[in-house]
Amino acid sequence: MAGTKPRKERADQFAFLDLPEIQERYIQFKNEQQIKVTLSLPSIHCSSCIYLLEHLYKIEPRVLQIQVHFARKEAAITFSPDLPFSELAALLQYIGYEPDFSRVEGKTKQRKYTFLFQLGIAGFAFGSIMLWSTPEYFGLGQDNPNFRNFTSVLSFLVSIPVLLFSAKDYFISAFKALRSKVINLDVPITIGIIALYFQSLIQIFSWQGAGYMDSFSGFIFFLLIGKWFQSITYSSLAFDRDYTSFFPVAVQRLEGQTKKIVSIEQLAVGETILIRNEEIIPCDSYLLSDEAYVDYSFVTGESEPTRILKGELVYAGGQIQGLAAQLEVKALTNRSHLTQLWNETKNKIPSNQLIRYQDRIANYFLIVLLLIALGSGLAWYFIQAALMFKVIVAVLIVACPCALALSAPFTLGNTLRALGKSGLYLKNVTVVEALTGIDTIVLDKTGTLTDPNSYQIDMHYNGLDEASFAVLVNLARHSTHPFSRVFAAQNEAVAHIDLTGIKEIKGEGLTGVYLGETYFLGSAKFTEIGENKGNELYLKHGDKKAHLLFKSSWRTTAIQRILKQFQAKNCYVLSGDQNLDAPKLIEMGFKNENLHFNMKPNDKAKLIKTWQQQGKKVLFIGDGLNDVGALGLAEVGIALSEDMFRFTPSSDAILDAKYLDKLPELVRLGRYAKRVLQICLAFSLSYNVFGLSIAISGQLTPLFAAIFMPVSSITIVVLSTALVRLKYRNLFKS
Amino acid sequence: MGIVYLMLTISLVIAACFLGFFFWATKNGQFDDDYGPSVRILFEDEPTTKDV
Repeated sequence: MAGTKPRKERADQFAFLDLPEIQERYIQFKNEQQIKVTLSLPSIHCSSCIYLLEHLYKIEPRVLQIQVHFARKEAAITFSPDLPFSELAALLQYIGYEPDFSRVEGKTKQRKYTFLFQLGIAGFAFGSIMLWSTPEYFGLGQDNPNFRNFTSVLSFLVSIPVLLFSAKDYFISAFKALRSKVINLDVPITIGIIALYFQSLIQIFSWQGAGYMDSFSGFIFFLLIGKWFQSITYSSLAFDRDYTSFFPVAVQRLEGQTKKIVSIEQLAVGETILIRNEEIIPCDSYLLSDEAYVDYSFVTGESEPTRILKGELVYAGGQIQGLAAQLEVKALTNRSHLTQLWNETKNKIPSNQLIRYQDRIANYFLIVLLLIALGSGLAWYFIQAALMFKVIVAVLIVACPCALALSAPFTLGNTLRALGKSGLYLKNVTVVEALTGIDTIVLDKTGTLTDPNSYQIDMHYNGLDEASFAVLVNLARHSTHPFSRVFAAQNEAVAHIDLTGIKEIKGEGLTGVYLGETYFLGSAKFTEIGENKGNELYLKHGDKKAHLLFKSSWRTTAIQRILKQFQAKNCYVLSGDQNLDAPKLIEMGFKNENLHFNMKPNDKAKLIKTWQQQGKKVLFIGDGLNDVGALGLAEVGIALSEDMFRFTPSSDAILDAKYLDKLPELVRLGRYAKRVLQICLAFSLSYNVFGLSIAISGQLTPLFAAIFMPVSSITIVVLSTALVRLKYRNLFKS
Repeated sequence: MGIVYLMLTISLVIAACFLGFFFWATKNGQFDDDYGPSVRILFEDEPTTKDV
């Protein structure tokens, strides 16, 4: 089936969608005949998805029309009002496309096309001017001055929108940089553009020639293509999610005996809410039920569910495991512990942008350029004073760092794509630059080094035979306890057996009857085997027993590859857990002094800051909300994700968990980008030197400029693409 | 020689038309999704009459 395996469904999971005030957020248009919504369906991934969704009306006639937007993983759905919104959502979930309501923007915002317009105009001007400049290129301009003047004026007219509209961002950026007394690459570019343009104007209106309007518009065109190439990122992934997308949209509120679904904004302190298995607690509250198991792994990094007793405080962000729990709201969601933590660390996040490599070069470039222009002007003043001005302008024109400006966008853009092909999705190209300097790897333990979806079960049979085992597996299938469920899932192949008299004692275990005999499954106390120790499950039938010990399983290959490539002394582990796993980590090769346990979210961030003050460049990999601070502080913060389109804390990059073992190659590819950038810069600078020698000798012609600029730019594009591709193939295909 | 002026003007007008068309297509969302349409065109057409 297309889509992905649906998660366990719950009949009223989407009931909140039938509340008018919640519906209002999502519905774009509504009348008696139809309702229109645009839903984010993160599991869209192939052409069959498009087929299935767009033909949904064959399964459910009340869905009138669906149009899939593949790149954004969205579907614009028109359905009849006979179909409740909640049923539509349940249907989508059933066929494997669970809508992600945290990502839905009710009203579609107008997309901005200014950039494409700028590109279009520059391309139009470039092509047109080159077309009618052809006679000029062949030296035929002199023969027919009238024609030349006609085309020159035409070039001037066409170039006006290029100057005023297409190129304006470069002027603005250069102006802003100068005003704040810094030099970026846009400064020499602007100088070049202006020199080029006004030299052409003088030539055209003194009727001496066609000027350099073709080079001018071509130059802008290439620059814009570079910018476009750099800006293509992963529009379907969200890197900047905040806590609101983590919490549920609505919860069940208990009013006496009746349950009512309300949105979490409507909850008030003191109200009672019901949270069921696997639902997330939306606000800090007190437990009213006798007992509950809460999985805080996403919030604190603790891997085992915590047992909470009646009257104790539970924190927002925890996930209820097993039996449903009644809670009394203590603080609203936006005042919860977790939300405050998030906001606190968020303020501390410094800008991750490095000073751009080429901007630093631009500084020297500008100084050298001005010196050369002055020097050659001075020299020509003594040789032939009439040509002095022309040579200075020629120097400024030909030195315009077009190829230089294209080096970084294409190198970084190509690297970003290559990394994306291997499971690491970067937020933007500045992350590639940050990746080049990494020397320290910091890993979160729970969910990063361990695989949250798989437990390793150590089983000790104490006389339990196969027939009883099969019965007990069937008994486990009735349980909601996480360990029983793992146990049942790992023994999925065991045949189905009908049991009678199944009784579950809350938080203890359950019993069932098969062929007149009673079977037990549960804690040590429940099965009367000993004292409870946690992480255990006991099976019992008469005096035959089995003991199951649950251990989180390690991503061993990934750990070993990372340790080998980055060396153990550069690899650190931060964990919210107690140091029970220290021996295992040391056995795998981590250094004892590099292991830090009992880390609160703030401690993680603080420790990273300390390392940074020691001059380390930190790459942090984590997966939970407790890592938000560290992810923000580290030079590169990577959120590890089992499912790319589910919630991830805000980060610089998202890494598909199955590619964690490829981390060394990914970092190496990122580092290689710097080498490629240097090669490209060397190439473009030598082009500039060559062009300058022509300009200084006073031989710059429009034809030369028209050929020189595109050729230098295209070399850079081809060079950077080829180098990055080759390296990618070397690293990943061997 | 006069014909060159005419042809040049015509070529400019045609190019301007293409530019206008590009603007229209952009605004119309033609470049938003570069994968979906390529798949959609291969879907079987719905039969309009029943096979006998």
